[in-house]
Amino acid sequence: MKTSPASVPVKVKRPFSTKRLGSFLIFLVVSLYFLVPLGATFYWSLRGQKDVLGFEAYRKLFADTNFLPAFSESIVNAVATIVLSLLIVVPTAYWVTLRLPKLRPIVEFITLLPFVIPGIVLVFGIIRLYSRPPLLLTATYDSSRVLLICVYVALSFPYMFRSVDNGLRAIDVRTLTEAAQSLGANWSAILFRVIFPNLRVALLSGALLTFAIVIGELTIALYMAQHTLGPYMANLTRSKVYEPSAMAIVAFAITWAAMGIIDFVGRGSSKHLQMADTD
Amino acid sequence: MSYLSISHVTKKFGDTVVVDNFNLDIEKGEFVSFLGPSGCGKTTTLRMVAGFEIPTAGKILLDGADITDKAPNQRNVGMIFQSYALFPNMTVAQNIAFGLSVRKESKEMIAQRVDEMINLINLEKHTAKYPYQLSGGQQQRVSLARALAIHPQVLLLDEPLSALDAKIRVSLRAEIRAIQKKLGITAIFVTHDQEEALSISDRIVVMNSGLMEQVGTPFEIYNFPTTVFSANFVGSLNNASAEVVDPALSLISIDGAHFESAVDLKERKKGDKVRVAIRPERLSFASEQRKANVVDATIENITFLGSVVRIRVKIGNTKFNMDTFNNPFLDLPKIGAIEQVTCSREAVLVLDE
Repeated sequence: MKTSPASVPVKVKRPFSTKRLGSFLIFLVVSLYFLVPLGATFYWSLRGQKDVLGFEAYRKLFADTNFLPAFSESIVNAVATIVLSLLIVVPTAYWVTLRLPKLRPIVEFITLLPFVIPGIVLVFGIIRLYSRPPLLLTATYDSSRVLLICVYVALSFPYMFRSVDNGLRAIDVRTLTEAAQSLGANWSAILFRVIFPNLRVALLSGALLTFAIVIGELTIALYMAQHTLGPYMANLTRSKVYEPSAMAIVAFAITWAAMGIIDFVGRGSSKHLQMADTD
Repeated sequence: MSYLSISHVTKKFGDTVVVDNFNLDIEKGEFVSFLGPSGCGKTTTLRMVAGFEIPTAGKILLDGADITDKAPNQRNVGMIFQSYALFPNMTVAQNIAFGLSVRKESKEMIAQRVDEMINLINLEKHTAKYPYQLSGGQQQRVSLARALAIHPQVLLLDEPLSALDAKIRVSLRAEIRAIQKKLGITAIFVTHDQEEALSISDRIVVMNSGLMEQVGTPFEIYNFPTTVFSANFVGSLNNASAEVVDPALSLISIDGAHFESAVDLKERKKGDKVRVAIRPERLSFASEQRKANVVDATIENITFLGSVVRIRVKIGNTKFNMDTFNNPFLDLPKIGAIEQVTCSREAVLVLDE
């Protein structure tokens, strides 16, 4: 089949400019800034065996009897944090958008507090508050763990609220709610069949950001004597040479996988939110 | 007793009265439009019927039942929004089925009703599409089908055509009217577009600042406006201050130019100030034989508007627009010329201030 000349893409040569060169240099420097330490860490993690590049450090890491319990404990903590955070943040953000828009600045301020209060201050405040009756929650490992999850929920607020709030702004919550109401839907049908499905990407990105934070959190878990991945990594750094680098790469891979999932799911569902631009 | 009765309904937001003592009885199968500018209270009134706003005072009765305080999901009222409000995560068929599904209807019944609605709006090829894959007009038709699927007692349409382009608006409004007539459903249509209201409605409620200005058929509203606002808002209008010259003959004077009106002015006194309105298309150049309601006018400007030519004339110190149909052989006067213009007695409206 012949291709018509009109359909052949024409390459337009853009003239060289110092502006383009400047942009390229900035991109190059920033890329090196991120990639060199990552590459060096990865390279270092491959040197677990003398004179051979291989995955010995990774094998030792996964063979360590303390690794998987710490890893699984962090995963459970992360999932519990996500569930609790969603249950608190989604109804709050939805109600503020729908009925109490004047409260938005106050809610935003409250959710941003974890950014303002340093982790070390937060953990000592919590230990002091919950180490004596009637709120004695640091007496046992399990009760401390519950407390830790509650603290993580608070830490997740800035990410979760922002994600959910952005998602709610992307859809016309008020009109969709009213449309569903006029069709006979009650509140649970509105939330679970209309609002939640349209917030899928926002909820997922909030959840995965929370996941990434909880998985790598050190300060609070350490001072609350929890055996999670953060303290495990810190211990590893003190006693091993190559395994901490392997651990850093594993944590990095988990975070990137989380980002990849957000991107993949987001591509499918962002289309649903597009408005047709033609009549 | 009427099918839908909005009785002495008032709505306040804080100290602001948005709707003031609104009274309207709507018969079953009637198509009523609320027409008025932004902020006149038309949408608020509609939202009170839908249940999204609760009246500060008054009652709303639907088929004899008091629904004033009922939740929106308990009213069986279908609503169509300006922004379509289709659920983005659902296909066309799922959107239409939503209302039936939350009412826990059987799967067979839902499938049958969805098919009926899809046929009604002629979107058979689009059932599996998502809203973003449809044009604005198609989305609004789906919204109509979704609202009708639940067999609502009343269909509420909140400026449903405002977001569409001119051609689609005209065709869709005809489609909405045809479907409403076919199903015999009672409908309330909110719009600020007078042409839309005039073309689609059985009756129009003209609203201004929370008050009902006039209720009537499109013919009555256009030809016999009872208030200055109603006359000005619907169609274009010349209005002028005038003085009663002879109440018995309904004779008035606009800057010395005498007009006879068909409106009975016997209750007025000679010298009373009144407001007079004449539609531009009711004024014309006077033939030599015509003697009544003939006045001298200076031609000030001539504007070509396609099918109509608008001539601006000055009668005394008052400027009037005069519309005449365009035709290739139209003999237009020169600007500055003095011509005789006239109108019928019925064209001279005397309005309440």
